[in-house]
Amino acid sequence: MSTVTAPSSVSTSPTAKGMWRSGRGILLVALLVLATALVPVLLSSPGTEDRRLDPGDSSDVGAQALAELLGRRGVTVVRVESVFALLAAAGPDSQLLITDTGFLTDYDARRIAGSGRDRLIVGAVRHLDILAKGVLAKEHVRARSREPRCDLRQAARAGSAYLGGASFTAPAGSTGCYPAAGRPTLVRYALDGGTVTVAGDGSFMTNLRLAEDGNAALAMNLAGARPRLIWLATPKAGDSGLAGPEGRSLGDFIPAGVGWAIVQLAVAVGVVALWRGRRLGPVVAERLPVVVRASETVEGRGRLYRARRARDRAALALRGAAIDRLAPRLGLPPTASPEEVVAAAAARTGRDAPEVRSALYGPAPVDDGALVALAGYLDTLERQVRDS
Amino acid sequence: MALTGRAGLLAALGALVVLVAPDPPMAVLGLALLLAALVLLDLLFAGSVRGLRFQRDGERLVRLGESVTVGLVVENPGRRRVRGVVRDAWPPSAGAAPRHLRVDVPPGQRRRLVTTLTPTRRGDREAVTVTVRSLGPLGLAARQGSHLVPWSVRVLPPFLSRKHLPAKLARLRELDGRHPALVRGQGTEFDSLREYVVGDDVRSIDWRASARRSDVVVRTWRPERDRRVLIVLDTGRTSAGRVGVAPQPGQASGQAFGWPRLDWSMDAALLLAALAARAGDRVDFLAYDRTVRAWLSGASRTDLLSSLVNAMAPIEAELVEADSPGMVAAVLARARRRCLVVLLTDLNAAAMEEGLLPVLPRLSSRHTVLVAAVADPRVAAMASERDTAEQVYDAAAAERLRGERRRITARLRGQGVEVVDALPEDIAPALADAYLALKAAGRL
Repeated sequence: MSTVTAPSSVSTSPTAKGMWRSGRGILLVALLVLATALVPVLLSSPGTEDRRLDPGDSSDVGAQALAELLGRRGVTVVRVESVFALLAAAGPDSQLLITDTGFLTDYDARRIAGSGRDRLIVGAVRHLDILAKGVLAKEHVRARSREPRCDLRQAARAGSAYLGGASFTAPAGSTGCYPAAGRPTLVRYALDGGTVTVAGDGSFMTNLRLAEDGNAALAMNLAGARPRLIWLATPKAGDSGLAGPEGRSLGDFIPAGVGWAIVQLAVAVGVVALWRGRRLGPVVAERLPVVVRASETVEGRGRLYRARRARDRAALALRGAAIDRLAPRLGLPPTASPEEVVAAAAARTGRDAPEVRSALYGPAPVDDGALVALAGYLDTLERQVRDS
Repeated sequence: MALTGRAGLLAALGALVVLVAPDPPMAVLGLALLLAALVLLDLLFAGSVRGLRFQRDGERLVRLGESVTVGLVVENPGRRRVRGVVRDAWPPSAGAAPRHLRVDVPPGQRRRLVTTLTPTRRGDREAVTVTVRSLGPLGLAARQGSHLVPWSVRVLPPFLSRKHLPAKLARLRELDGRHPALVRGQGTEFDSLREYVVGDDVRSIDWRASARRSDVVVRTWRPERDRRVLIVLDTGRTSAGRVGVAPQPGQASGQAFGWPRLDWSMDAALLLAALAARAGDRVDFLAYDRTVRAWLSGASRTDLLSSLVNAMAPIEAELVEADSPGMVAAVLARARRRCLVVLLTDLNAAAMEEGLLPVLPRLSSRHTVLVAAVADPRVAAMASERDTAEQVYDAAAAERLRGERRRITARLRGQGVEVVDALPEDIAPALADAYLALKAAGRL
């Protein structure tokens, strides 16, 4: 290798020590951020998620107190999370309590309505047309302590209660209580052999409000009407309401391995991304010379002439160039007067002198057509002089 | 470090394993750990990249449009085999190929890799880095690292106009009187006396010398020699404009945008320098915009061309207005004796009137000045197309520019300056002809 003359190479890759030195600051900051994010989470109590009007929830919005009270009074509270379970548990001696209809499908609502059981619907307006036929939710009213002002026994005994939410138009033969602005917020009537009770707001059943006013009495009176209470709680987020007829969703038919296989595929995608994302060496930048056509200024001037319709200047330039080329061919000095040029050109080509004069020294063309014609005439004149 | 496609494939196949595994979550975890372990193992047993030693050999010079090879010797002083890919990175316009080189160096041995450079523009091209990706024995992961192995290749102007050189040299020999067709050379410098032979021009008989001898004696002439030619290249903004069609092949973008005036001017300067060196004149070269970009003086006749292309290679057009008074001062400071100053610039009316014309008398009073400019064929094409109103407006703009060039040319000639204004392909022979005409007229 006698031809080798270059100095030997120098490694430019960072060493482990260098990487630790340059990266430890960033690492420290990242650890600090992680710690500040994790510490509050770890310190906070493992609180459960608030489930509104759930018989198993002891938070302010839950209804565990009511469930306890009912249990002490001998009412069996059955908590269910799906319509299938609800209908399976319901018997002739049971009442259904529905606190949330948001997750129900039309089909679910129709099946509940079709069961003909007693049902108590609180604080829900969706599917009301199916679940409580004839009751129409009107305007929204503020929930507050209201007087019963009706002869429904359960309400009159309970006295004032925390109600509101929605006000209803009641069907014929129904009892409407706790009116707000003339419309009842609690309606009870018989439908298809069962008793349907609709309350505009379920707050009076919550742990927070149960001890106030006559809330507890009203809730006990309404919910404890039958020995068994089938309580439809809102399913946990993630459980789709798409329960099939057998209570199994589509997801239940997929083997558990598939989900994990997808996770494994995601890992594979990550590995492939790392493979493709790693460049072989740095991007090479280069200072490139400017790329500009020298004719750009001329083209720009042409466009300016065009934009301004500068026929006078254009004609002047064309005529000047033509005269500059004609004069030497006609044997005239560059300083020749217009008359001399016109006379010589007319004599050489046999054209009329006034015509040649108007082409070479005439007024500016009046329109673009005249300009094109002038350019053509000058071309012809030059050619004739050249060829003569 | 770097992963390979094999690692990705392994992870993807792992999905099938997870699908049939009795405990999928554990399978995912196990596979991840297995993959990580294999990658670590591979990294551990891959040949060391940091320890590699590189050396380069090969060409340092290349003409634009030609290819050159640069060798890269990889030496592996480590204990493990280095197998993988090498990227010898060069700037894009160096036209390096192939992009990736396979390498397999057993411990203690060396291998030579060859990169072919086909540069697409003039100037110095520096090698950037050499990056090596050394695969592990399983081929799942690789160590990666870069090395600086300095090397530069100077891309010289192509000197395309050398095809005109034989014809111009023949013209020069005619002047020299060596050509058999001419009895009396048209030179203007007295050479020697010799006896009259039939066919000699009687006007060249030296009667005084004939009277001293008893024979008729004629004077012989030869073209003047040992004159000085100073080629001045204007590298200011007007030299950046692209004209014509880039002549070298394989440069798609260059084809569309033409070649800078600077490169055409260099081509013409090279032909002139080659011719002048053969004619026995001394050639100096100056490139100037606002400062001296290149200065070449006192090169011997034999290595003039190589010195000149070397001096020209790194010059780029600067986007600044050329400083004409400064240029004239630089020329006057360097050319003490009378010489032919060939000024390669553009006949741009605005730049000329502001810059060169006022200071030109200082130069033309002491030296013979020849101004050469590259005309734009696009302007000529625009001036001749006159079919529609749009074209006529463009033609008017083109004619206006040409009128300005004519006016500047007339003013320059009025000051006793020779002017060569030719299209890109013609500028080199036209300049050579102008030089020969000056030489024949004895005006150097």
